[in-house]
Amino acid sequence: MAGPRQATSRSALRLFRSETGLIFRRPRTVAMLAVVAVVPVICGAAIRVFGADGEAILVQVAGNGLALGFVAFSFMVPLILPLVVAVVAGDAVAGEAGLGTLRQLLTAPAGRTRLLGVKFAGMAVFALVTSLVILVAALLTGLVLFPVGPVTLLSGTTVPLVEGLLRIGLVALYVTLGMIALGTLALAVSVFTDTSIGAVVTTVVLVLVSQIITVIPQLDAVTPYLLTSWFQRFDGALREPLATGDMGQGVLAFAAYIAIFGSLAWARFTSRDVTS
Amino acid sequence: MSTRARAVRWGVPAAAVLVVAGAIGAGPVIAAVQGDPQLPELTAEQLITQVSAKWSGTGTMPPMSGTIVETASLGIPGLPAAPVGTSPLALLSGSHELKVWYGSADRFRIAIPGAMSEQNVIYNNGQTWWWDSAANTATKIKLPADGPAPAPPPAAVTPPDAARQALAMAESDTAISVGNDATVAGRAAYELVLAPKAAESLVRDVRLAIDGETLVPLRVQVFAEGAAEPAFEVGFDSITFAEPAPENFTFTPPPGAKVTEGDLPAFTRTQPQMPAGDVAVTGSGWTSVVTLPFDAAALKDNPILAAARPVEGGRVITTKLVSALLTDDGRLLAGAVTPETLEKAAG
Repeated sequence: MAGPRQATSRSALRLFRSETGLIFRRPRTVAMLAVVAVVPVICGAAIRVFGADGEAILVQVAGNGLALGFVAFSFMVPLILPLVVAVVAGDAVAGEAGLGTLRQLLTAPAGRTRLLGVKFAGMAVFALVTSLVILVAALLTGLVLFPVGPVTLLSGTTVPLVEGLLRIGLVALYVTLGMIALGTLALAVSVFTDTSIGAVVTTVVLVLVSQIITVIPQLDAVTPYLLTSWFQRFDGALREPLATGDMGQGVLAFAAYIAIFGSLAWARFTSRDVTS
Repeated sequence: MSTRARAVRWGVPAAAVLVVAGAIGAGPVIAAVQGDPQLPELTAEQLITQVSAKWSGTGTMPPMSGTIVETASLGIPGLPAAPVGTSPLALLSGSHELKVWYGSADRFRIAIPGAMSEQNVIYNNGQTWWWDSAANTATKIKLPADGPAPAPPPAAVTPPDAARQALAMAESDTAISVGNDATVAGRAAYELVLAPKAAESLVRDVRLAIDGETLVPLRVQVFAEGAAEPAFEVGFDSITFAEPAPENFTFTPPPGAKVTEGDLPAFTRTQPQMPAGDVAVTGSGWTSVVTLPFDAAALKDNPILAAARPVEGGRVITTKLVSALLTDDGRLLAGAVTPETLEKAAG
């Protein structure tokens, strides 16, 4: 028994390596990561050049470069990040089907479940890398352009630099999980279609529509069930004591989306006839 | 692959949906299955006696921390369902959250979390700070040096006396009873029900939930006549009776913040503009009607006025709990009563 199982897990590992290699070697991935890295730099430079009037969180940046991390995430989480993740996740299966390479992949001994698992893992790694790129770009920009020291929280409490860094790391992890949930949705759409652009557009449209629903007061009852309404609930990381209530609920919502759309993608992927 | 195997596969996402739906719906179901908590049976008089024994004289609030949620659905026409911000108008609809940390009478903290912002009042041994993260300001609040100290209750009045007096006073226009025990913030609580006797009142009853163990009031609900959901509710969403961490009560203005001295902005800002002229109150208790001179022109483009219903001699605005009558001769009558009562009072 051990022999074949080892062989399949080794082949899954090989598949995972080739999948991540495929994702990160694509010019569009590199371009997207570059854009994602540039946004915090532009934010920081604008605050440095034009000053930070109005928005208090921007004032914070001027006083402490670490705050740029939070600003970058809150700017990018509504649209840029979902878009970038949707491009990669929406392409994952539909792209292969469109190119005709999916049939070839399915002849590998890994099996469909493993193949889908590998696609999910590749998307998750990409979401994590994107968050880390934002984090590092924001921290470096902050370090270069602004003074860096103890961090002032929303509650008015000042915490040491290390704790501030840990809290930003917590935000990055939360955002990553939210993007993995969205990526799972995009992956599910990707399994249902043979055109990757269709999967990407469907996901982005869903993100936009749910954000529109969020701002219509009459539809308030629906809001807690929408994925997008949890993306920005990481401000609890900036309170003293750490307000974990909202973030905990957000993590549960993300887990629910991953479970539902992950299983949908699995049911479809393992039962459909692959003709292309 | 056989049709049956396919059906089994699609059963997995269906099961995932069911599990998630179950997890979302489980809270109310569990609460319903558990039923009402069982506290020792008390009459209204016994309950009021215990509460007043606890709170008059040396009674002190135990150290605690928790989250208070205020929900109002007063049904005011023209107000958006979920206004943003912490303006007084915003409190009239939607749901709002407050966090409290209470160490003792001279150490407490109240936080009002907003989206990417927070306002705090920190009181520690006579020193009060108001922190507003959105404005990046820390305000040292000047308190009146020798304000009137709260008058101690006359020593002759014992808690049972006070309870009996309060009951007697209220009995004239209020029916007081003890309702079913409630669960508030996960704690078993007595429910004291105050129902107005007058038929013209819009209030069906006011329900006070009092913690069975510590006798701390946990929740106040105001129910309108004929409504299943409370029109106004303020109560603890979570509460822990333990000494909060001391860091909650120390505040040092963060570097870069504007530090000023002044009055509590929240209170000065919300001070309503009282119209000049005489204010008269007719009736008493639940059915009091306030009459004051009012210029309808001040409300000219207000959506509230647009929703007003014209009646003989003026316009009526009705909400679940309060009616208001703007008379054509420039008076405003308001009260927690039916519009007909207001028209009668207007003469």
